[in-house]
Amino acid sequence: MIKINKRAWDTMVSHVEGTFPKEGCGLMIGSDGLVQEAVPLPNSYTGPQEDFFVIDPKDLLRVDQESRERGLDVLGVFHSHPNCDAYFSKRDLENSCPWYSYVVLSIKKGRFDHANSYRPDFDQTEAPKEELTYG
Amino acid sequence: MAKILIPTPLRQFADKKDSVQLSGSTVGEVLKSLTSEYADLRRHLYNDEGKLRSFVNVYVNDEDIRYLNKEATPLQDGDTVSIVPSIAGGSAGIAAPPAPPATLSKDEILRYSRHLIMPEVGMEGQLKLKAAKVALIGTGGLGAPLGMYLAAAGIGRIGLVDFDVVDFTNLQRQVIHGTKDVGKKKLDSAAETMLDINPYVEIDRHEVALSSENALGILKDYDIVVDGTDNFPTRYLVNDACVLLKKPNVYGSIFRFEGQATIFAYPGGPCYRCLYPEPPPPGLVPSCAEGGVLGILPGTVGLIQATETVKLILGIGEPLIGRLVLYDALAMRFRELKLRRNPECPVCGDHPTITKLIDYQEFCGIPNQQHQEAAPVDGDIEPTEVKTKLDRGDRFVLIDVREPHEYQICNIPQAKLIPLGDLPKRVNELNSADEIIAHCKSGMRSAKAVDFLKQAGFKKVRNMKGGILAWSDKVDQSVPKY
Repeated sequence: MIKINKRAWDTMVSHVEGTFPKEGCGLMIGSDGLVQEAVPLPNSYTGPQEDFFVIDPKDLLRVDQESRERGLDVLGVFHSHPNCDAYFSKRDLENSCPWYSYVVLSIKKGRFDHANSYRPDFDQTEAPKEELTYG
Repeated sequence: MAKILIPTPLRQFADKKDSVQLSGSTVGEVLKSLTSEYADLRRHLYNDEGKLRSFVNVYVNDEDIRYLNKEATPLQDGDTVSIVPSIAGGSAGIAAPPAPPATLSKDEILRYSRHLIMPEVGMEGQLKLKAAKVALIGTGGLGAPLGMYLAAAGIGRIGLVDFDVVDFTNLQRQVIHGTKDVGKKKLDSAAETMLDINPYVEIDRHEVALSSENALGILKDYDIVVDGTDNFPTRYLVNDACVLLKKPNVYGSIFRFEGQATIFAYPGGPCYRCLYPEPPPPGLVPSCAEGGVLGILPGTVGLIQATETVKLILGIGEPLIGRLVLYDALAMRFRELKLRRNPECPVCGDHPTITKLIDYQEFCGIPNQQHQEAAPVDGDIEPTEVKTKLDRGDRFVLIDVREPHEYQICNIPQAKLIPLGDLPKRVNELNSADEIIAHCKSGMRSAKAVDFLKQAGFKKVRNMKGGILAWSDKVDQSVPKY
C-alpha cells in the first residue's frame, strides 16, 4: 500500500502534464509507506520519449543520498503513460526493480486521467497492483 | 577498504546500516563478502544462476562498472561502491503517433458513431485509426476477418500482400471471398469486399510473394504489420523484417482446432525467434492444407489480431506483448503463456548476429523449388502411368498412405490403405519382392513412405507424383478434390 500526500501528488501530476506528450518521471520520497515529497527528474532516454523513460542512475544516487541525510527513504518511482492507460506494460516489467513502488499516471490529451501503483517481483515476471491513495 | 552504500530498500537486510566497510581487491570480491555477511541480500542482488540481476547497477565512485571491468573492476582503498537499481520503463503505444488528419467528414462521423461515443476512442482515437497504415500479409483464413474488420474500423490505409487465386477449398473459412470470386486474384476479391464495407479506406495491392528481396521495401511504409501467413519461411521473414524495421508484428497461427496470437517485435518485447529459435524440420508440423482447420477458427484468431492492432493504434488497454494467447476451440478455453525477449536472440537480442534478411527457404530446410523441378526425384511415377499399369493388369501393389477419413472422401479402389503412421507396424503386410507404388493427397506423405520403405530394404518402391489430387486432374475427374 502506498499513500501520497497532496503536495507530492500535485507535483507529480503537474510534472507529467508538463512533459506531455513525452513520458515524465521522478522519484517519491517519504517514510513508512507515506510519500511526503515528489522529486521530478529529467527523462534521460536518448531515443523517442513518447513511450519510454529512463532515470539516470546518478540522479537516483543523488536523491537517495540527499533523502537519507534528511532521514527519509526513496519509496518509489513515478512515470506517465501519455495517451495510454496506466497499466504496467511489458516494457515496464522488463525494466522493473522489486525494491520500489511504481506509480503509473495515465495522461490523456495533456490532462491527468487515472493512476495505478505496482509492486514488481524479483524475476520481472509479475507486478501485482497495490493499493494507492493520493491527495 | 571500500565503502559500500546500501540503497534504502535493502537496509532492512543489512542490519539497517546505510553503508558497510569491506575489504576486497575487486568489485566482485567485495559484493561476495557483502552477501556472505548479509545472506538475505543475496537474492536481491543475484539471480539463481549467480549473475547480478538485470536491474542492479554497480558504481565505483562515479563510474558504472559495466563500462569499467565489470565485476573484475579493481578497487582502491577509500573507493565508494554504490548499488543503484536501474529505473526505466514506458507505455507500449505506437512510438511516434502519426500526425492525425484534421477532421472526419459528416458521413464518416455517422459511420463511426459507435466508436466516437466511447471516450476510449472518441474523435481523437478515430483520427488515429484514420492516420494509421497497416500491412496485412495474406488474405486467407486469418486475413479474411482481419481485412474486413480493420476496414470497417476505419484504418486509413491497408496494404494487402498476396499472390494467390481464390479456389473452392478457401470458401469454408476465407469469408472475405465468395463463390462468385473463385478464380479471381485474392487481392482483388479482398479489396472489393473491404471497399464495399468501407469506401473511405485506402488499399494498396502488393501482388507478390513476400521475400527477402522485397519485404523491407514493402513493409517500411506501414506502422504495424499483421501476419496472416501459414508457413514457417514467411513467418521468420516477417518477424525478422519487423525487428529490423522496428515495427510491431501482430501474429496469429491456426491448426485444426487450436490457435495462438501475440505481438512480436515490439521494441523491448520478444520476437518470434525468442519463442522459436529454430524452425521445425520440414514436414514435421503439418500445414492447414495437410492437417485441416476448423473453418471458424481463423475467425476467432484473426479477430484477436485485429483487436490488438486497433488497441496498439489507439494506445488503450493492455497490449498482447510478451504474452502468448493459446486458444483451444474444442475445450473453448483460452490460456496465456508469458514470453520474454531473449537477450541472446540472434535477431532482437543484445548482440544480434542477423542484421539483414536471409534465405528463409534454406533456413527452414525447404529445398529450392526450381532446383527440385530441374532434377526430378528418382522413383517418381506419373498418375497416368499408374493408370496404364492398372489397365494393363501389371503386377504391383498400390498403397494409399493417407488417413481413413481422407480415404472416405475419395480413393483409388485398387489401393490398399496403410496410413503413414501405421506403416512401421504394418510393413510386414508388404512383400519386398513386389513392385510398390505409394500415393497420398499431394505426394508429400507418400514420399516419406517411399523413404521409409527403402530404408527398410524395399528396392522397387515409387511415389505417385502429385497424389490423388493429380490423379483427379490427369486420370479421373470424377474423383473429388479436397
